[in-house]
Amino acid sequence: MLTMTHLVALTPLILVCITAVAVMLGIAWQRHHAGTAIASAAGLNIALLSVLVIWQMGPVETPLLVIDGLALFAAILILISTLVCVTLAHAYLEKYPGPREEFYLLLLCAAAGGIVLAASRHLATLFFGLELLSMPLYGMLAYAFRERHSLEAGIKYLVLSAAATAFLLFGMALLYAQTGRLDLAGLAVALTEDPNAWALAGAGLMLVGLGFKLSIVPFHLWTPDVYEGGPGPAATFLASASKVAVFVVLLRLVLVAPAFQGDWLHGLLAVLAVVTMLVGNLLALAQSNLKRLLGYSSIAHFGYLMVALVIGDGLAVETVGVYLVTYLVTTLGAFGVVTLLSTPYSGEDAAALHHYRGLFWRRPYLTAVLTVSMLSLAGIPFTAGFIGKFYIIALGVEAERWWLVGGIIMGSAIGLFYYLRVMVTLFLVEPGMQRRDAPHDWGVRAGGVVVLGLALLVLLLGVYPSPMIEWVKLMAVAGS
Amino acid sequence: MGLPMTLLLPLTFLLPLAGTLILSISRGTLSERASAFVGVASIGLSALVTGLIFLQFLAGDGAPQTVTLWTWIAVGDFQPTIGLALDGLSLTMLGVITGVGFLIHLFAAWYMRGEEGITRFYAFMNLFVFSMILLVLGDNLLMLFLGWEGVGMCSYLLIGYYYQHSTNGWAAFKAFIVTRIGDVFLAIGMFLIFLELGTLNIAEILQRAPEVWARGDTMVELAALLILGGAMGKSAQLPLHTWLADAMAGPTPVSALIHAATMVTAGVYLIARMNGIFTLAPDVLYLVGVIGALTLLMAGFAALAQTDIKRVLAYSTMSQIGYMFLALGVGAFDAAIFHLMTHAFFKALLFLSAGAVIVSCHHEQDMSRLGGLWRRLPLAYAGFVIGGAALAALPLITAGFYSKDEILWQALASGNGGLLLAGLIGAFLTSLYTLRLIIGTFHGETKSDNARHAEAGRGLVHGLPLVVLAVLSTFLGAWLQPPLADVLPASPGEGVHAWHTALEIIASATALAGIALGAWLFLRRREWLARLAGQGWGARLWTLWNHAWGFDAFFDRLLVRPYRGLVRLLSGDPLDGLIGLSTRLAWLFNAGLTRTQTGKMRIYATSMVFGATLVLLVLVLGA
Repeated sequence: MLTMTHLVALTPLILVCITAVAVMLGIAWQRHHAGTAIASAAGLNIALLSVLVIWQMGPVETPLLVIDGLALFAAILILISTLVCVTLAHAYLEKYPGPREEFYLLLLCAAAGGIVLAASRHLATLFFGLELLSMPLYGMLAYAFRERHSLEAGIKYLVLSAAATAFLLFGMALLYAQTGRLDLAGLAVALTEDPNAWALAGAGLMLVGLGFKLSIVPFHLWTPDVYEGGPGPAATFLASASKVAVFVVLLRLVLVAPAFQGDWLHGLLAVLAVVTMLVGNLLALAQSNLKRLLGYSSIAHFGYLMVALVIGDGLAVETVGVYLVTYLVTTLGAFGVVTLLSTPYSGEDAAALHHYRGLFWRRPYLTAVLTVSMLSLAGIPFTAGFIGKFYIIALGVEAERWWLVGGIIMGSAIGLFYYLRVMVTLFLVEPGMQRRDAPHDWGVRAGGVVVLGLALLVLLLGVYPSPMIEWVKLMAVAGS
Repeated sequence: MGLPMTLLLPLTFLLPLAGTLILSISRGTLSERASAFVGVASIGLSALVTGLIFLQFLAGDGAPQTVTLWTWIAVGDFQPTIGLALDGLSLTMLGVITGVGFLIHLFAAWYMRGEEGITRFYAFMNLFVFSMILLVLGDNLLMLFLGWEGVGMCSYLLIGYYYQHSTNGWAAFKAFIVTRIGDVFLAIGMFLIFLELGTLNIAEILQRAPEVWARGDTMVELAALLILGGAMGKSAQLPLHTWLADAMAGPTPVSALIHAATMVTAGVYLIARMNGIFTLAPDVLYLVGVIGALTLLMAGFAALAQTDIKRVLAYSTMSQIGYMFLALGVGAFDAAIFHLMTHAFFKALLFLSAGAVIVSCHHEQDMSRLGGLWRRLPLAYAGFVIGGAALAALPLITAGFYSKDEILWQALASGNGGLLLAGLIGAFLTSLYTLRLIIGTFHGETKSDNARHAEAGRGLVHGLPLVVLAVLSTFLGAWLQPPLADVLPASPGEGVHAWHTALEIIASATALAGIALGAWLFLRRREWLARLAGQGWGARLWTLWNHAWGFDAFFDRLLVRPYRGLVRLLSGDPLDGLIGLSTRLAWLFNAGLTRTQTGKMRIYATSMVFGATLVLLVLVLGA
């Protein structure tokens, strides 16, 4: 039965859904770009506040969902990413010739899907959340459908994602056939009692489905094409909220089902982790398109993060939390700059590295933001990225998984090359180049304020990370 | 009462940091006046805050205070805090950095007027002060190291300030690389200390060291040696001293602030701060003294044979820091810090006066092209005379006398006859080269048009720093006794008084003898000197001293050339190829993997199926 407690615990989700409905009705009644954006942002802010209010409630379980520390933590990250995307989208879509307001609707639906996914304790909600997260993304990626690249990104993501979902469903079906259960806890019990090849195969196929969304090698090939083609705000959402939600649910699976941690699955995850970080970084080496580069970089980063999944005990949850926060802040900053430079919408996004050549001499603050983001992605001390990477390496060293640590170090070394290359490009001068530029007053617009804030946050988290770490610890305690 | 230390202490370095930020984000939109104002005001406010701290500290019981702002990251035993510690030692350093620093910043507003890139100049200077304050306030070695590297970087940036001339760039390189050698020693020393004692907090290190290590333990000697290596690099002591003379390529206020008053004394501060380690390693401590003695003699002779005013002062700085090392070596830590303070006053005065001369004479700084300036530049002349008197330790009326006398006395009291002798010879040399500097610059005939058309500086910005520093260089400056009693261990000469007066008289006589000889030689018998330096052994000695005993050439033969040769030799070797292989492999993989990014969906889907098959195979066959 749905009780009052349940309702209270689900407020953030409900609020996001209400916002989505309200925005939809608003659009039907009268189109107004700024109004829609403001309404969406307001709804998301209220949802964010509600999370803070119900933070102390302790885990609340419904048959399908569990609102625990992990779920709330993911909800916060998803809501913040969505907020950033809304602000960026507002600037980006201002000059978009087609209908603009639906984009926010899609964003809100996807956010709701992410929250459901991260809170799921049942395969049904897992599936439902994942699809609710993915469906709007098809639309968002193909939003600028008059652009060949955007349309291509949308279709590619749609088809491949559908294939991945098929794998996921098949895996679920196998698990259900073997155990007769769909809730995670029940599955865990059944599998511990009777682990067999079919069930393992089911788990493996689910891994394929989720691995696709996280762009784990070898399910990663779509990533650069889709990142490059999709409109800036959509790519931002794909790289931030979507990945966070899927990773959290994967963490849940690994945590809830120790039976899955059989030697082979374990070893498989480890191999995939190392391969992912190396391949992601290697692919980025010669990349001359910033959006593709960020795509490869996100592949590598989730390779690093998988180390926490492989180890799966001790500080793993805390590490995942810290890493997700630092990754999110950094990625949002980097994508934010790319989006602002492509603002307002004028055809294809400004993503080729030569668009960024000498950016410093024209837009020093935006350059500072991008520089800080690059340093953080590379994991240089006194940026947030360092703290995250430090945690991952510490975890690997503690567990004495030297292969994984070696992979992280090699990956980081390779990564340094292309992150620094981007930075160098920013400061070069080549007069007379055709350049893309942000509008002059970008700094006082909401989008500009947001990216500046994110850059400051990256630095702040690098210098003064303890409040964030404390907060993540709270989450880890409440989540276990 | 008053404001809490948690607020005041961070303010001292946040204000200069704010100055740096404002100046750097202004991107040249600020006028010269506005830039100078921001740059000077930030340090001025910081000095005011330091004054407040000083008053509160004196009003309190003088116990050390620590302010832990936060823990950076906590991993097991490794819990570096962003923490500040205030005691008599750091307070003294803080006073010197912000006080003298403020005066130099103020003077720089006159010196740098009309120069290109003044915003950049002040941004770097403020950043330097920020780093230097972190260095002295940090309560753990990590913070100290952060400041240590920060000042090194600012030094590099400011030596190469006039970057259009490539020689300045090379000088900056040299300073950075040579001090970097020392920095590596210091870093390894830090690792060793953390490994052995499990902490980087300075107070804890000093407390644990005697518990873990016996006196003369190999480990503690090694740790002390490594720290000494760091200190030698930063403080330009033998054999890592070669960078300081070339560092004079920077603007003169930079030389005054970084290469005389503050940064180069960081090594002295470091050893005094780590006194507990050094007292456990008596051999290394003795080595500190020996290095100081050798440096002060080497640099004293070298200063005699320079013609560039700033190079004379650079070698004199090396020599005076040698005195400080000597004091540290005999265990007289407070005497070293006292000399550090007075030296900051009079050497800053000398450098600023030199700056006044240089700007007035249209950037002429070669003594052989100056001369006879005392009528035209009275204030600079007065600065030189007062600063020079303090440098030569003229008895009773100068600050330098009290601090240098203390060092010599401690050397005697500790029974180190050799060090004492070196100190006395050094004192004689000091008076000699000081007099040569003053006479060469201000007396005799004027030797170039630039000097003949000298225009004296005017205004408060020019005059005030010189006057204040001149006052501090007299015995009045020596009244500022640093509150070090509770911080540093007792000196060997404490409570002993026999022979003290006798030594004072001997030291004074030595200084006066040097001055008398100098006056006679440089005023009356110049032709003798010219003849002596012109031929035979005299000429060789002159060249040798002029090149500061040929260390540059020596290192060039011993290290640089073999290194280059080795590099050339190794450039084609298989090992190098092996290292290069990794990058080539990376590119190869990159090329191979990029081929998978075809953009074709069917390939992508195939890859997914392939991956899924692999996963299934592994799992099903494995189970």
